[in-house]
Amino acid sequence: MSENPYQPINGKIVDIIDESPTTKSFVVVPEEKIKFETGQFVELTLPGEGEAPFTPSSSPADSEKMEITIMKAGHVTALLHQCKKGQKVGIRGPFGNGYPIDDFAGREVYIVGGGVGLAPIRSLFLTLVDRIKDFKSVVCRFGAKTPDDFIYKSDLFGPWQKIRGVNMKLTVDKANGKWRDNVGVVTTILTPQDVDVRNSVAVVCGPPIMMKFATLKLLEFGFKPADIYLSMEKNMSCGIGKCGHCMIGKYYVCKDGPVFTYEQIKNYPDIWA
Amino acid sequence: MKPVFVSNLKPFLDAVAEQMELYIPKKTEQHYTYNKYDPDSETPAELNNIRTCTMVKEFLFPVCEFAAVFPEPAEPEEIGPFAVFGLKECDLRSIEILDKVFTEEEFQDPLYMKRRENMFIIASDCFDPGKSCFCNFFNGKAFAQSGFDLSVSKIRDGFIVEAGSDKGEDFIEKHPQLFSKVPEALLSERDKNRDKTQKQLEENNAKYKLDLPIKEIVEDSWESDVFDVEAKACVECQACTRICPTCHCFYLYDTRQKDYFAKMKMWDGCMRQAYAAVAGGANPRKILGDRIKHRLMHKLVYFLDRYGLDMCVGCGRCIDTCAGEIDMRSILKKLNEELKDKGKTKAKVIK
Repeated sequence: MSENPYQPINGKIVDIIDESPTTKSFVVVPEEKIKFETGQFVELTLPGEGEAPFTPSSSPADSEKMEITIMKAGHVTALLHQCKKGQKVGIRGPFGNGYPIDDFAGREVYIVGGGVGLAPIRSLFLTLVDRIKDFKSVVCRFGAKTPDDFIYKSDLFGPWQKIRGVNMKLTVDKANGKWRDNVGVVTTILTPQDVDVRNSVAVVCGPPIMMKFATLKLLEFGFKPADIYLSMEKNMSCGIGKCGHCMIGKYYVCKDGPVFTYEQIKNYPDIWA
Repeated sequence: MKPVFVSNLKPFLDAVAEQMELYIPKKTEQHYTYNKYDPDSETPAELNNIRTCTMVKEFLFPVCEFAAVFPEPAEPEEIGPFAVFGLKECDLRSIEILDKVFTEEEFQDPLYMKRRENMFIIASDCFDPGKSCFCNFFNGKAFAQSGFDLSVSKIRDGFIVEAGSDKGEDFIEKHPQLFSKVPEALLSERDKNRDKTQKQLEENNAKYKLDLPIKEIVEDSWESDVFDVEAKACVECQACTRICPTCHCFYLYDTRQKDYFAKMKMWDGCMRQAYAAVAGGANPRKILGDRIKHRLMHKLVYFLDRYGLDMCVGCGRCIDTCAGEIDMRSILKKLNEELKDKGKTKAKVIK
């Protein structure tokens, strides 16, 4: 990293993939290699406009480029959605702690994801699949508002389901004509039989309300708070634990997170807001 | 090194100003603010009896500065040595707090570091604590305890100067013509003055005396509605966070200049409604009372958990500035009484 933590590394958008009506993936090539761990995040700058935090959705194994999946949600993301291939960008990071996947070895990894929360999960999933034999199994329970709202459709609806060692179920809040799978929020497809709770870790990423109810369900199944990994979304700005915006209690999400165990933050009353 | 004596401030300040840029307090109406020292000025320099109105953080962490220039990085701004004269114990403690944030090993803030390394700190005793001063809540003293290069104490016939660092000792050694030995009697005069100020501080704050450690008072008051009640007087001007010497929140924003882009680093504050909001619209502290609570939690609970220090020095600037007359001492006192009513006593909290 540059000696000045506020200095972005110059980069360029080389490809843009439409994922859903509200979401696009941007393939970014930085001028200097950026090594990251799955679950860490970067600050992506649109020069002259602003920057926003994103967890790359690509595998850290690909050190040449980085894929960043972005939902149109605010000022910077709306402008990014108007960008074309070749757009110059800046990247700061990586920041924070990723998923401690070495600690997951020998256990079942139970991944609960919703909406654009599948972006960090894709990076984690690809990382786990690269060394799938290290884990007892990878059990995925993913949801989206409608079938069209799923991101990574071409992977989700086919190839990923066929990977040996992966058990995947999908659900939508509202089906359309072609959908033959489950209908209901993601918590409706979680059952205590999905994994052996005593030898599993859970990973949850999605909209706050979904994370809250998924966590409560996991606790009900008997998961220990220390075995539930949450990827927290807060207003991370500086990335280095100084500017204050992303605090949860004594923690800076940008520096101590964005991945936390529920154990770490469960006593702070406002974590889901 | 033993303390030394100087009868007049001018030659001392002139000697400092010869070496570096010097800032001294100047009284404007009832407040002191910092101005650049002019050796040729006709108004003699004076020693402030109380902390200045402005906070020392402005010297280290300006309201707005260039954090980065790109695509081509710019040469870092040249910062020369500078001295600040008249800082009080509360100011020194606020520097200690900012140091924790900006100079910690893992991520140093290069902009802060550079100014900090170039800063020569000349502290001084408090003579006349203000009605809002409550540093005694945080073990503050009426004189500089640590974190200074030189410390100046006013006595009847002159000033006692003490070194608090190698840089300070070096200065005294290099200017033997300025200083003389301090007779014992003058040292005891200094100590008497200090005791007097300390006593006055305690007296001023007697009615706010708390029965429980501050951290526990705040931490155990999550459910209290005192914050919402206080919020009724708050006009959301954010002056409390601006004028606070320890508040250090900032935001980064991007600008487009003629032939480059820049990231600016500018003060921000947690009292602003959208401060913690995310792009999707979620906001953990939409309600004003929750923001007042967060401000106190951060200062008196979270920061202590993280860095082992309170993030408040009891300087009282937030009390002086508040348009709604919100006073942190009375919030703490109300929370204290509430907990006492609930049956939480000192005996119970001692583990």
